[in-house]
Amino acid sequence: MSDPVICTTALTKVFKDFWGRTRVPALTALDLKVHPGEVFGLLGPNGSGKSTTMKLLLGLLRPTKGRVSIMGRSPQHTATRNRIGYLPEEAQLYQYLTATETLHFYGRLFGLNRTDIESRTSQLIDMVGLTHAAQRPVGEFSRGMARRIGLAQALINDPDLLILDEPTAGLDPVGCRQIKDLLGALAKRGKTVVLSSHLLADVQDVCDRITLLHNGRSIAAGTLDGLLKHSEKLQFTVETHTPEQVEAIKIAIRECCGEDPSVDVPTIALETFFVNAIANATGAADTPPSGVSQKTALAPFLGEP
Amino acid sequence: MRKLRQLWTLAALTAAETLRQPVCLLLTMSCVVLTILVPLTTAHNFGEEGRLARDSGLAFHLMFGLFLGGYAACAALTRERESGTAAAVLSKPVDRSVFFAAKFLGITGVVLVFSTSATLATLLAQRVALKYASDTGHLLDGLTAGLAMGSPVIACGVGAWANFRHRRAFQSTAMATLPLLLAVVAVGCGCFTRAGGWAPYHPQLQWQIVPASLLVAMGLAMLGAIALTLAVRLSLVPTVSTCFVILLLGLASDYVFGQSAGHAPLANLLYALTPNWQHFWVADAIAGGGVVSGTYMLRCALYAFLYTSGILCLGIVAFQHAEVS
Ligand SMILES: Nc1ncnc2c1ncn2[C@@H]1O[C@H](COP(=O)(O)OP(=O)(O)OP(=O)(O)O)[C@@H](O)[C@H]1O
Ligand SMILES: [Mg+2]
Repeated sequence: MSDPVICTTALTKVFKDFWGRTRVPALTALDLKVHPGEVFGLLGPNGSGKSTTMKLLLGLLRPTKGRVSIMGRSPQHTATRNRIGYLPEEAQLYQYLTATETLHFYGRLFGLNRTDIESRTSQLIDMVGLTHAAQRPVGEFSRGMARRIGLAQALINDPDLLILDEPTAGLDPVGCRQIKDLLGALAKRGKTVVLSSHLLADVQDVCDRITLLHNGRSIAAGTLDGLLKHSEKLQFTVETHTPEQVEAIKIAIRECCGEDPSVDVPTIALETFFVNAIANATGAADTPPSGVSQKTALAPFLGEP
Repeated sequence: MRKLRQLWTLAALTAAETLRQPVCLLLTMSCVVLTILVPLTTAHNFGEEGRLARDSGLAFHLMFGLFLGGYAACAALTRERESGTAAAVLSKPVDRSVFFAAKFLGITGVVLVFSTSATLATLLAQRVALKYASDTGHLLDGLTAGLAMGSPVIACGVGAWANFRHRRAFQSTAMATLPLLLAVVAVGCGCFTRAGGWAPYHPQLQWQIVPASLLVAMGLAMLGAIALTLAVRLSLVPTVSTCFVILLLGLASDYVFGQSAGHAPLANLLYALTPNWQHFWVADAIAGGGVVSGTYMLRCALYAFLYTSGILCLGIVAFQHAEVS
């Protein structure tokens, strides 16, 4: 197997106060390995150390004990961060800059040239559906809008590794779905994604592997399939049926297996319903949007091989 | 090359964000207004015409500047750390040393804007002050005073207009307009006599104020560096308070350590370490027509440069190990 993108051994973080006394043990002996092309999920209740782990990976915090290597380097290595995109937990943006200025600013920090900055900015703003708000200061943005700009800012360097702290928090269902599609598309191109989320349905949709944290310790880890498969039960689905046929099937199952099967009508997920309803309404709308408006699924520069 | 570009980008952003702080505008306006008010309200001259106006102008420049520089420095770092923008920037390929240096450059830029206004105000105040001439008797330069006092008002007007028309930040436009207007007044008042009539061009400004103000500005840059370095570990209020203590120590260092320096090694060390603001205070030297020599300016500039670099290096080392979250 190829070298892991992220590798931590016995990673421990204890927050200290001004005088160096122990205040909070936030993370204890965490071992993580994330491989290229994987979508990796960090789960856990509030305060379990997810954000702390991400900040340790980025070198923003220093480990108390243990080692972190990211793309084979120390997290303090500046040049490695050329290939990383990070979406912080809170939308951490300069309030007075407009959406466009924000992306230009980050583009300049990456040393991109002017044409790249311009084209990537407009593609990303289009992708996150904020074209009509591009010239407004981000301080005025709603939480979800700021989150979208945060995501755009994390993608401006076309990163190989994306670290997303609760990417779907505060987003509308259409935005959530879009992010999940985006992550899928990026993973297909061989990019690695590490994300944390409280929305388990989202995690289940996109993640290949997860680690469950509790009080700073990993209490479960593995592939989603491995963790979630209920190996005894089976489920049949049929499209067309009459009451008589259903009755006949029930009898057959009772005879074969010796137990009554449960029969129910599947509902579509509320998310699917919402996404479809909004798609229909957007087609019919004749007023200009004040919030977000979705257009492209993936900024073209992110799709380039 | 790339680091330079990052440095420039971050410094420009810091300056822009600082200029938007209402406190900066408030301090600058107060400094200018008070400086020009002094010659209008006091008839006393301390034995030399315009001396009180000049001395208090320089003193306001120093005091308001210290507050402005100290506040701007720790706000620039503390605010960014608390709002998390520092974390967002440092998760990009930005060296911490570049980030720190950019903060310093940004606030120095703002201090420079402030110092320009304060210097021009002091020049004008000195011209306004009561002076005796055989043909006019004791006379205040009312026209210059009016124009100078009008500048802050017009600057605010321009700020409001730019905000209304172009959605520019009121504070930063007003901050940037003020020195321009004061400069226009300083140049323009040369066309008038002190009594207000037309006359062949003769500015009647005391140019010795410029090097004196420049020295004050150097002292301000030094304090900015100290405040920034403190802000790595401390939050806003402790930083400002500590700056204030250092300021007082530096003002009194000649009395506190200077007398025993030479005998006691500890006093020697402390004397060398505390910033000595007295070097930057030449108001007494230029009283009665004294001049600030070029060599003195150079020596002070060297002192300020070395001291600032040393402090900044300390700050960078501390910041390298600081946690940003
Ligand atoms: N800067 C800090 N100083 C002190 N303690 C901190 C700091 N940052 C985090 N902690 C503590 O570390 C623990 C883990 O916090 P962390 O932010 O990693 O949790 P999280 O899993 O991201 O939670 P959430 O789901 O609420 O985002 C918490 O107990 C928190 O109080
Ligand atoms: Mg968190």
